[in-house]
Amino acid sequence: MLRDRLVSLSINHPRWVFVSFLLFAILAAVQIPAIQVDTDPENMLPHDQPDRVYHEEVKARFGMHDMIVVGIVNETHPAGIYNPDSLTTLHQLSEAILSLEGVIRQDQMALNLVDNITQEGLGTIRFNWMMAQPPENQAEADAIREAVERLPLLQNTLVSGDHQAAGIYVPITHKSESYRLSQEIQAIIDTFDSQDRFYMAGLPVAEDTFGVEMFIQMAISAPLAGLMIFVLMWVFFRSFVLITAPMIVAMGTVIITMGLLIGQGYTVHIMSSMIPIFLMPIAVVDSVHILSEFSDRYKPGEKPRQALQEVLGHLFTPMLFTSITSAIGFASLAFTPIPPVQIFGLHVAFGILLAFLLTVTFVPAYIMSLSDKRLAQLKDHSLQEDDNSRLGRALSLTGKLSVKSAKPLLAIFMAVILLSAWGVSQIQINDNPVRWFKSDHSLRVADRVMNSHFSGTYDAFLVFEKNLSQPPHAQLTTELTRILQENQATAEQQLALQEMLSEAENNDFDRFTSDLGALLDQASYLDLDNETLWLDLLDEVERIQVEVKYFLSPEILDYMDRLMQTLQQSEDVGKVNGLPTLVKTVFRELNAGDDTHYRLPDSARGVAQTLLSFQSSHRPDDLWKMVTPDYLSSLLWFQLSSGDNQDVSRVMQQVADYMAEHPLPDGVSAHWAGMSYINVVWQEQMVNGMLNSLMGAFLMVLVMMIVLFRSIKIGLLAMLPLSITILFIYGLIGWIGKDYDMPIAVLSALTLGLSVDFAIHFLERARAIYRATGSWPATVDEVYKGPSRAISRNAIVIAIGFTPLLLAPLVPYITVGFFLATIMAVSALVTIVILPAVIQQIKDKDRLFGGQQEA
Amino acid sequence: MQSLLRNMATATLTALMSMSVLAADLTDVDAIVERANLASYYPGNDGRSEVRMTITDGQGREQQRQFTILRLNEEPGGRQHFYVAFSRPADVRDTVFMVTKNVARDDDRWLYLPSLDLVRRISAGDKRTSFVGSHFFYEDVSGRHPGEDTHVLLETTDTHYLIESHPKDTSTADFHHYRVNINKQHFLPEKIEYMDASGAVYRTVEALDIQDVEGFPTVMRSRVQDLRSGGQTVMEFGFVAYNLGLPVEVFSERSLRRQPRDWLRRPQ
Repeated sequence: MLRDRLVSLSINHPRWVFVSFLLFAILAAVQIPAIQVDTDPENMLPHDQPDRVYHEEVKARFGMHDMIVVGIVNETHPAGIYNPDSLTTLHQLSEAILSLEGVIRQDQMALNLVDNITQEGLGTIRFNWMMAQPPENQAEADAIREAVERLPLLQNTLVSGDHQAAGIYVPITHKSESYRLSQEIQAIIDTFDSQDRFYMAGLPVAEDTFGVEMFIQMAISAPLAGLMIFVLMWVFFRSFVLITAPMIVAMGTVIITMGLLIGQGYTVHIMSSMIPIFLMPIAVVDSVHILSEFSDRYKPGEKPRQALQEVLGHLFTPMLFTSITSAIGFASLAFTPIPPVQIFGLHVAFGILLAFLLTVTFVPAYIMSLSDKRLAQLKDHSLQEDDNSRLGRALSLTGKLSVKSAKPLLAIFMAVILLSAWGVSQIQINDNPVRWFKSDHSLRVADRVMNSHFSGTYDAFLVFEKNLSQPPHAQLTTELTRILQENQATAEQQLALQEMLSEAENNDFDRFTSDLGALLDQASYLDLDNETLWLDLLDEVERIQVEVKYFLSPEILDYMDRLMQTLQQSEDVGKVNGLPTLVKTVFRELNAGDDTHYRLPDSARGVAQTLLSFQSSHRPDDLWKMVTPDYLSSLLWFQLSSGDNQDVSRVMQQVADYMAEHPLPDGVSAHWAGMSYINVVWQEQMVNGMLNSLMGAFLMVLVMMIVLFRSIKIGLLAMLPLSITILFIYGLIGWIGKDYDMPIAVLSALTLGLSVDFAIHFLERARAIYRATGSWPATVDEVYKGPSRAISRNAIVIAIGFTPLLLAPLVPYITVGFFLATIMAVSALVTIVILPAVIQQIKDKDRLFGGQQEA
Repeated sequence: MQSLLRNMATATLTALMSMSVLAADLTDVDAIVERANLASYYPGNDGRSEVRMTITDGQGREQQRQFTILRLNEEPGGRQHFYVAFSRPADVRDTVFMVTKNVARDDDRWLYLPSLDLVRRISAGDKRTSFVGSHFFYEDVSGRHPGEDTHVLLETTDTHYLIESHPKDTSTADFHHYRVNINKQHFLPEKIEYMDASGAVYRTVEALDIQDVEGFPTVMRSRVQDLRSGGQTVMEFGFVAYNLGLPVEVFSERSLRRQPRDWLRRPQ
């Protein structure tokens, strides 16, 4: 049998155990320096997830980059940011940022880098830089304000509507540069002697900063957790010899598990960074069981072999079961389609099983290698079995109370369950990676300030696409052939057209039609007799050439314009930018800046010529941020003041409602992209996935309980305390209005595996005692001495083991720490209060526990 | 046909080479710049050419524009008129851009948008804006006035003059300075490199193909590269003709709406 083989191996060959343990630990440890931190929320979705693939494709299609947004705020000057000093500072800062390595300078946006279109006398328009030089006096600053206010694409994007804040949008080559760049930008800011305040926002900075702080938390919180457990065990056992073994098991487990994760090439995501903190408390518990029971049985002077074999024979199965149930709880996270959560769950599950293996091999080997003198010391420090301790007395009272007042207690619990169920129905599923920082973190402050002034710093993109019913080349060929037939063209002319078609052949339709047009044009000169025929063909080619550029057509631009205007009314939408805004603005300026001309031109050619005028500016390529060069796809940029996925979802619903009422033109489709949308997608997946994980873990643990106890009733009883606990905790979250975010979601499944341990121990012992005594009151009395104390002590170790997370600088760690500690405490309490009360209500206890047996 | 072309090219080349042997090196930088200006923008009394412009963005996506340019000099190196009429793509057909380059004062510029039936004057302002979305600037098309920069002759090689130019008014220039490589034989600039304040080249303009047309060395293919975005624009010139006898009325505001078809039409 596996158990005997493992035990005899470790007892007979402790050296082998030490050497192989050490080898594995070293092998794993050398992997760790290759650690790569991953804080990109996009990675919450698998690389091939359709929404993510589409998001990436859209970013490339419209040449979008990750951005750092630098905000300059002046709330004291009456003109706000529009004063010579602030604008000079902005100018200097923007110019200095341009030359930083890693900045895509041609795409940087700030007042000094954008164009202004103005009227200069009658019938004259002027294209010039908005702020080539900083203003020298207030009048010049006011002129800039007036210019910005006339340009809807800039107003509330580059400068806030209240004039108090201006932004510099810094596109960067790669997200991983953003922390360094934000530091360099800060260094430039620090050289200014300015009355203005500066803020930096933008998801890349948040991500990269998060990564840096994650390292800090791993370097501080994990060792702190180790120290905490060490101190706690010292308080319980007061023997270094005794607690050295569990500490080595815990360290070994953490090193090998992290080494395995990193060695496989996985990046360390926010969840995985918590693995050490999860494993340490879980890993020590089993060794503590072995050591304390060994010290009870071992008599000084004897060989330890006999006592060890007895202890392990007795403890192996329950330890295996509790380890497996805990592992199942974590492994069930693999049912959630979020890669970082899966990797976390599977590796913690591995770590728990590894900790079990180390406990049953290393700890016996450790004991075998101790000298007699040390072993004798161990005996002196055996676990105090004191029924008169404060904990002991309290537990004994609890037991009496729960049996005596079973009915009122059950009534209270029913009430709690009902209230919790209502609370669960109130749960708000909501997350926003910026909120992973504490409320006073500079990034959260920047987020608040920027969003209070501007329309919003959260981006979502509604991408429109025209799907051509057939490839335009084929459509064109069909049309031209039709015209030839109508005109009863000669074979010679048909051949001539065929030659032109093949000569103009090109994948790019615009170029194809231009070349073909040139050939037809030429033919109309050379073949004057058939001039009209060639010109008819030319007209058709040009008609289709214009028609194919769908997003020049007033039909779709008008649709987008109306959609924008409707959505602009929504409280959740700060601002919508799009091609219609650009076309209308340029059209107005072409028409002497007359506000009545703030509208779309009447024809596609009119739109094309308006855009040609826009392209005669300093930044012609800004057009391609809104429409593709083939005019088959265009996007609306939604600026949202909140990145909370509830708010984003509401905007998406409003757009869906609009489209239901006003159907999209034929052949046009619209899809969402952008980081705010990606967040919504993974959070939806997380909720559904978590439900799967929870159900999966629940069923597996239930089956294990039934197998373990060989009783359906006791199996169900074992699930009762943790079910109530999870319901209560989530009900509480609903009640107090804490958002259901990623860390909260992850907790449900894994606590299931952890807290079932209490019920196992409780019911195991209760059944054994009942079988021995045949009396329920005697059983209760006995259970509330040893087992309840062990349960309480384990709950305290685990709960306190997680408390270092409360000191973490990042919110998800704090959440996990707080809720895990709470769940442990509550489920231990529920186990020892509710189980006796429920069993009290079951009439036939002989059937429940399988009858009295010989002791 | 092919061999005829080759013979012509060889003959031209020989002629040009013999000229270079005869010509003594110029040392006056302003004189070199002036001759380059004349060679680039003032050949003949007038001229016509058809241009196919291919704009390629950093992602390799292309756009096409085709237009015909008519040009008339009032005097060599002096006042000058340009008329640019778009023919393709069809949606901008008949759009016209017209410039009168003045010597002592700012240029006059007009824009005609046929589908909006709009004639607009464009303020002199900044000439270093994109020419209809390409990587060429308006100034590249009509020419930058030599007097706007101070020039230094950096190097004279067997074949080229290398000149560095700094703008007199730094506020209107997007560059810190630029260097021009001027061919000693025909004085056409073959490569211009624009530098930023750190001295890094971020934009180049090149003459990729120079041919003799009616005795005038003519750029038949030129390219601008934007080294920051990775985009580029190539202009290919065809049906080039000089000394057509263009009347000055062609360049009046009236011909924006009523195009001078006879002059725009390709000579038969």
